[in-house]
Amino acid sequence: MTDTVRTGARAPAMDRFSLPGLLRARETGVFLALVVLCLFLTFATDGFLTSVNLLNVGRQISLLGIMAVGMTFVLISGEVDLSVGSNYALSGLATGMLIIAGWGLVPALAVGLLTGMTIGLINGVLSTYGRLPSLIATLGMLSVVRGSALILTNGQPVTVNVRNGADPGVLEIFSFIGQGYLFGIVPMQLVFFILIAALAWVVLSCTNFGFRVFAVGGSAKAARVSGISINSVKIWAFVLMGALAAFAGILSLAFLPSGQAGRTGLGLELDVIAATIVGGASLSGGEGTILGTILGVLIIGVMRNGLVLMGVNPFVQELMIGLVIIIAVGIDKWSTRRRGA
Amino acid sequence: MNASNSQTEIVRIAGVTKRFPGVLALDRINIAFAAGEVHAVIGENGAGKSTLMNILAGDLQPNDGQIFIDGAPSVIASPLVSRSHGITVVYQELALCPTLSIAENIMMPDMAARSVATFVPRDLMRREAREALARLGMDHLDPDTKLSRLSVAEAQLVEIARAIRQKARLLVLDEPNSALSTRESEKLFEIVRQLRGEGVAVIYVSHHLDEVLDLADRITVMRDGRTIETMSNDNVSQDRLIRAMVGRDLGAARPWTLQQNSAAHPVVLAVDDLTAPGLDQVSFTVRAGEILGIGGLPDSGKDRLGDVLFGLIPRSGKVTIDGKELPAAAPSASIRYGMAYVPADRRGAGALLTMSVADNVVSAALKNFSVSGFLRRAQIKREARAQVARLDARISHLGQKLATLSGGNQQKIILGRSLVTNPRLLVLHEPTRGIDVGAKAEIYQILRQIAGEGVAIIMISSEMPELVMNAERVLVMRSGRLSEELRGTDVNEEAILARAMAS
Repeated sequence: MTDTVRTGARAPAMDRFSLPGLLRARETGVFLALVVLCLFLTFATDGFLTSVNLLNVGRQISLLGIMAVGMTFVLISGEVDLSVGSNYALSGLATGMLIIAGWGLVPALAVGLLTGMTIGLINGVLSTYGRLPSLIATLGMLSVVRGSALILTNGQPVTVNVRNGADPGVLEIFSFIGQGYLFGIVPMQLVFFILIAALAWVVLSCTNFGFRVFAVGGSAKAARVSGISINSVKIWAFVLMGALAAFAGILSLAFLPSGQAGRTGLGLELDVIAATIVGGASLSGGEGTILGTILGVLIIGVMRNGLVLMGVNPFVQELMIGLVIIIAVGIDKWSTRRRGA
Repeated sequence: MNASNSQTEIVRIAGVTKRFPGVLALDRINIAFAAGEVHAVIGENGAGKSTLMNILAGDLQPNDGQIFIDGAPSVIASPLVSRSHGITVVYQELALCPTLSIAENIMMPDMAARSVATFVPRDLMRREAREALARLGMDHLDPDTKLSRLSVAEAQLVEIARAIRQKARLLVLDEPNSALSTRESEKLFEIVRQLRGEGVAVIYVSHHLDEVLDLADRITVMRDGRTIETMSNDNVSQDRLIRAMVGRDLGAARPWTLQQNSAAHPVVLAVDDLTAPGLDQVSFTVRAGEILGIGGLPDSGKDRLGDVLFGLIPRSGKVTIDGKELPAAAPSASIRYGMAYVPADRRGAGALLTMSVADNVVSAALKNFSVSGFLRRAQIKREARAQVARLDARISHLGQKLATLSGGNQQKIILGRSLVTNPRLLVLHEPTRGIDVGAKAEIYQILRQIAGEGVAIIMISSEMPELVMNAERVLVMRSGRLSEELRGTDVNEEAILARAMAS
């Protein structure tokens, strides 16, 4: 593009025509796509629009959603994290092994979360002070962490139950976290997702830290001359991502309740990034919202659910999910260019 | 106005030197800025003004010398330190975040100063931003508008609004009004005077001497990385400033051969009434075997001319090469009609840095070096070797990556690439930017040789000595238009500068 001086009045602001705050122009498209998808599934299947199925979708998307919330921070700050699937496995399995070893719930969870945060810290330091592109740094960590999980478990499955040594009292609460229902109806995983997303929304849109994440990803130079420490903002985004990946991993183990270092969370990082991107976050940084990410996660979750309900061949499902990612992001880029933003 | 001399010094720079690989950007400079003065810093391109401002901003560290702030020796180790001393810099190339709103950009330094664990005071931000905008007469802008929706001029005003808000003690304005209209500039000057009245030291870097004379209390002239002299602004004329900028006896020597002219040669390029963004009804011709120089200030439109001629930017008007009319906005047609273009941005647009010397040489004429899609390596090598020898490029072998060559040798290879297409017309934009003196002389030698073979050359350059030493005729651009041409003995740096800066 040329750097032609644009003169004259600015384009009419889209922002004014939509509901203030919540639904910005960028998310409206994803939202409409979701509505269309849901309408279609309501008529095309018998079981879609039932509270049982919807809550089931809610549970299925929760772990992906929790991680996508973290990925939103990382992408807005202008970085990417490929190690989240491995982190999910290692942190979850470590927590499970500690519970089997007879630890209390709080210390076991704390170690699991700290594991994830440490991985995030390493990712962050490598990508800032280490001057590695985060794509490379976290690609390396993807293998390092997966390898660590394999070494830690010796490749054996980890199953959390009383027979293996877990304290019955601890196990009861642990299982409730992963498998329980609030008020006997809302899956706990969904409760956690909603809480985390709400908290993340506050942090990203209303706090100084959230502001800095946008500033750093939007223009590192502008942030630097304003006196914002780019490195610390990015490192904190990675640490937050690490903590959320670990928490999702722990919830997964509590739900199943077993995992295996060679299988758990394999390739999950790609789903997480895809959901976040479909929700409007930009790989080049500076753009993204929690609401958009939730919509992105919902689109992928509803799509998966709907395809199963319609009895579509699982191989075809995979293909269609891929097409959705390409089409969703393609439409977004196309409409952004048309708007001239 | 000149009462400021007796006032308190905020920053004094003593003997500061800054070296970059192969270049001495600042050479033991001395300059001081006092509270309540507007201190203009002027000089040609490459005089070291921007380096000095970057040191004040904490973006660059000097290799030698001392900076005193409020009389105490200080190290401006980072932008944060710079700001804590009350120094605020408005950069020439804007330091704004396009994805954030106007209010968020204006308030970014405040946000950086607050704790991370606080809420964003949205209402306060809007209110303060609106006030800052109003001070510049920009009430019509909504603080919630995203910055990417603004024009360059509006963005520049936002950046100035941000700087003014910060209650700086030392405010650096580096070409602050390059995109502003006259009315907006006047508003800016009014505020600069107001700030001076409040005791702020304002450093004003500008190419526009009329503004400088209008605004400044003191003027420091820089040349070749040195502070030549600091004068107080009374009885100073534009001529005197220009003489100081060019150097009294140091004007570039003009070879006698350029006094002849090639008026007898046929016209290769004829430009008639060319209009494009930043260019206004430009008309000129270039003859075979001639080097035509085009000079002007950075915002004069000259930096667009190359891109427009080559067809990268749409235009109106008539352009002919050897009498055949060139379609607008079609670079491939430009090449076919015999034009070769060497853009200013060598590392970006000019060269394939990650590829070898040989690949670069033939990249503009691949069709001639391949048979049904397969490259003819032997022929490529032969051609590359011939060009390297002709241009006397110093390389270790033909497979060497271009990125590992010095700037001068890179430029020679890029020239070689242009020559492979046997052009009738060679358009060069800043042909020796960032190249050391020895290599410059060699490139001039090569250009004269190419011209001697009957190629028409247009040399668009910010470096006046370069135009004086090489161009038979020089056209100076100002506000998108060409001034009358300078030729023969009329071509000298003062004449070019005077026309570029005339108001």
